[in-house]
Amino acid sequence: MIRYLLTVLALLLVAFILRQFVPVLPQFYDARLFLVPLVFICASVTLDVLGMLLLSFVCGLLWDAQHTILPVVGDVEVYPEVSETLKFGYSIFLFAIAGFIMQGVQPVFREGKWQVSVLVTGVALFFYLFVEWMLLSFVRGHLVFTTDTLKFIFYSSVLTMLFSPLVFLILFKLAKLYQYRIRYEGLRKGRQIY
Amino acid sequence: MKPLTLFALLIFLSAGTWVLTWSPMTVRKVQETYYKAIGPFLQSGSKIEKFSRDFVREVEHSENLQRKLEAIQADYGELKIIEGRFRELERENVQLNQALGFQKRTTFDVKAAKVIKRQPSTWWDTLTINQGEKSDVGTQLTVLAEGGLVGRVDQAFEDISNIILVTDESCQVSVYVEGSPEKGILSGEPGEYGTTPLLRLRYLSRNAAIQKGMKVFTTGRGGIFPPDIQVGTITEVIPGSYESEAMVKPSVDLQNLSVVFVLAGDDTVEQVEDPEP
Repeated sequence: MIRYLLTVLALLLVAFILRQFVPVLPQFYDARLFLVPLVFICASVTLDVLGMLLLSFVCGLLWDAQHTILPVVGDVEVYPEVSETLKFGYSIFLFAIAGFIMQGVQPVFREGKWQVSVLVTGVALFFYLFVEWMLLSFVRGHLVFTTDTLKFIFYSSVLTMLFSPLVFLILFKLAKLYQYRIRYEGLRKGRQIY
Repeated sequence: MKPLTLFALLIFLSAGTWVLTWSPMTVRKVQETYYKAIGPFLQSGSKIEKFSRDFVREVEHSENLQRKLEAIQADYGELKIIEGRFRELERENVQLNQALGFQKRTTFDVKAAKVIKRQPSTWWDTLTINQGEKSDVGTQLTVLAEGGLVGRVDQAFEDISNIILVTDESCQVSVYVEGSPEKGILSGEPGEYGTTPLLRLRYLSRNAAIQKGMKVFTTGRGGIFPPDIQVGTITEVIPGSYESEAMVKPSVDLQNLSVVFVLAGDDTVEQVEDPEP
């Protein structure tokens, strides 16, 4: 378990590096492959709650380190409204919620029905991005949700979801390598279960 | 719920809440450490992104390239003429200022930087450039490009800096409308993608005497941007009961930026009291 968890953490760090190489798709409302959330979401279904929480803490911390923008306060007589932004660390909780969504489908996943988890990966990412946008919108004093935003979230979620079988495959290989048991039931007799 | 899980959850909530209480200085330090580690990969990643963007652009616009080149050549010739006239006027202006004993304003001292990453953030309009503290690029400095204002430096690290674009909702600019007494605050609109988003100019007077096509410049008030930098052109005026608003098209093509200029030592900021438009 420990070795598997450490490897998943390392995989997450690799995802942080690889995401620097992932371009956005301007034709699809700047949609992109959310590699880090993808690895986190896929990994969280294979881990227990403790491992998932540790992963969400590390993931959220690094995610915010890359993304957080601090508000600029100019002269209040000229700029009466300060554009608020989200506090550093909010992603830790958002990742944890997405992780708990994946934990909800863990019984099905352990039966060997990974296809369901692939779909829920898309749902979890959609939820993550939607909540993040709404939070940001809320702290800025309005609740705006445009069609463009919906399209951005939708295309990004679908694109990311399409890559999830690949991440699951890597996780299964890692589990096999470190003899960490992911699946319990639903597999054919006589076949080694991981 | 198992006691161990409950205990872990409590630890997690405490740790998460502790992170939320971090001061901006601590956050900057964490970000600095992160960017120091990720910096080399960011530089390499930009090459792949550039290749990918160039490829897509090539496929999309190959038919128009020749036409655009011809148009650019024509514009270039025109601009050379305008530049010649501008230099002449600049010289004349300096001479007149000296003659009248005006305090000489600091001329723009800019540092060129290459855009190495576009839209690294999910929701914020930002980009990353290949100049940082080593090149005296510091936080809050104004960033320009051919055409006018691009944004400001949000974070400056050793070799790279993050720029927040003028199209982002959190980037507010105090501006005036050329040829009118109107002043207002310009900021980006949330949730816009695709073509260059429009900016919203607020706090104009109810019967603002402005119209489509008028140019918008920074006032220099408020301690963030220096004065008289072009920001955009009015595309629509929206009259209101108490105050009017206007939509402004940025003067810089922010979708296709490859080189920007960081304005160093802009000591005109905060000194300008209330420049007449």
